[in-house]
Amino acid sequence: MILNGVVIDDTFAEAFGMRATRILITALNLKWAWHAARAVTGFATSVIGCGCEAGIERELSAEETPDGRPGLSVLLFAVSGKELAKQVEQRVGQCVLTAPGSAVFAGLDGEAVNLGRNLRFFGDGYQMSKVIGGKRYWRIPVMDGEFLCEETTGMIKAVGGGNFLVLARGQSEALAACEAAVEAMSKLRGVIMPFPGGVVRSGSKVGSKYKALPASTNDAFCPTLRGAVKSELSPDVGAVLEIVIDGLMEIDVRNAMRAGIDAVCKIGAAGGILRVSAGNYGGKLGQYHIELHDVMLWNR
Amino acid sequence: MEPLTLRLRSSPARSVDLSALTPERLDGMGTAQIGALPLRDGLCVADLFEIGAGDTRHLVIRNGSDRLTHIGAGMRSGTIGVEGDCGAYAGLDLDGGHLNVTGNAGSFAGCGMKAGMIRIGGNAGDFCGGALDGNRQGMRGGIIAIHGHAGDRAGERMRRGLLLIGGNAGAYCGANMLAGTIFVAGKAGTMPGFSLKRGTLLLARMPENLPATFQDSGEHSLLFLTLLEKQLQRDRGSFARFLPLNQKVRRYCGDLAWGGTGEILIFC
Repeated sequence: MILNGVVIDDTFAEAFGMRATRILITALNLKWAWHAARAVTGFATSVIGCGCEAGIERELSAEETPDGRPGLSVLLFAVSGKELAKQVEQRVGQCVLTAPGSAVFAGLDGEAVNLGRNLRFFGDGYQMSKVIGGKRYWRIPVMDGEFLCEETTGMIKAVGGGNFLVLARGQSEALAACEAAVEAMSKLRGVIMPFPGGVVRSGSKVGSKYKALPASTNDAFCPTLRGAVKSELSPDVGAVLEIVIDGLMEIDVRNAMRAGIDAVCKIGAAGGILRVSAGNYGGKLGQYHIELHDVMLWNR
Repeated sequence: MEPLTLRLRSSPARSVDLSALTPERLDGMGTAQIGALPLRDGLCVADLFEIGAGDTRHLVIRNGSDRLTHIGAGMRSGTIGVEGDCGAYAGLDLDGGHLNVTGNAGSFAGCGMKAGMIRIGGNAGDFCGGALDGNRQGMRGGIIAIHGHAGDRAGERMRRGLLLIGGNAGAYCGANMLAGTIFVAGKAGTMPGFSLKRGTLLLARMPENLPATFQDSGEHSLLFLTLLEKQLQRDRGSFARFLPLNQKVRRYCGDLAWGGTGEILIFC
């Protein structure tokens, strides 16, 4: 398949079943909601080393939040419900509870994951519970007033590790295309791109020559290793960047891949984009195989 | 389908317990069966009421009287409407559904209720949302909305839930309260929150006197009041009387004789 001069490989992205939750962070203004959300989603690019993958889904207007203040919607993904619960509690405790004027609420219905249930003990006995509209909230006294948090949030089965690779003549062309892709994908709900700026340059393969490492560089897509390994790159490819997508549902991931690849192809061969491919492990690890051609042909 | 209607023929000479008349107890019964249900002193339902056939999940009692007690007691679902007054123990131990009294309610309305909603268009007697003698906890969930005044000791030993009082509250409102929220849109009588252990007494006006064991914590904007207001706004038809809620309040923590983990909030 060729779109605007860009070859779409006949391959698939291999994605995994994950557990996910959404939390809503509000503050006195968007600036401070961003501070809290950036902190809570910090160091959350990959479950390989961070415990969870997290990102900011979108801004919320005052009309969309439970407390009538501006806020942000944050998605967190982990490999198990237990790990997700641990990550949510630690991150909210260290990054949202600490942020001036913040409050946090559940953004999903589903299996309950602790949000404020244990954080309340920070109140040292002065915390107060309020059941409003059938939901329990905790009021924890802090130095700028009260930290208000919902007792639990909902956890659902989700999809992580959707991806596509942008192969370009050079680094700047690849990066410009990925920026355009991430901008288009960021408009969609239910997905995050957890890496810095939504883009990852260190795509990995499973395993390593070093026994201690579970993953190592994706040598087949490293342009400097062309000639040294069995490369996937033609001689004109100077740089490859990857966009990883986690979504609440498979359809969310597919829609995001479609929007991202569309944006990349819009730049096209004239902009130095040569191919779009996807990362997989031969189909043996992930339960979701998202064919690039299916994604691009669907509803076209 | 039309609701099942019970029109009171005349006010009985003595109080009559109507706890047998709840939607789940009447489920599957025909008019004749309902009419034959025994009440007290050898009287049955048909002796006191003209029965209009209808959906037993929705019951309307016309020509209400303060002699009719225990209306909706133990109800778990459906609706009961009372056109006029009702006697004591309305909505006692309510566990769901909706009880709507257009007139006044007697004492002990909503005592021990666990869920559901009670709306009282007029005034409520003493111990509304409280606990019966011997019970350690009063109201444990749900909402009571009194559009008029409430008697003494409203919400006494309340454990959870929301008690809204549109008019004035009598003495010792929220006494021995364990948790939950009471809002008084009018004026609260003497000694509100006496022996309050936890929970919130939200008062639109400064009461005549606060117990000496409450301490001023200053003025604050409390976010949970926004959530509470939003919840009430979702059903403006029922709760317009209690809106808007001030977010800015003066907080008095107490009762310090009981640990000081409760609060009285007074609109600024």
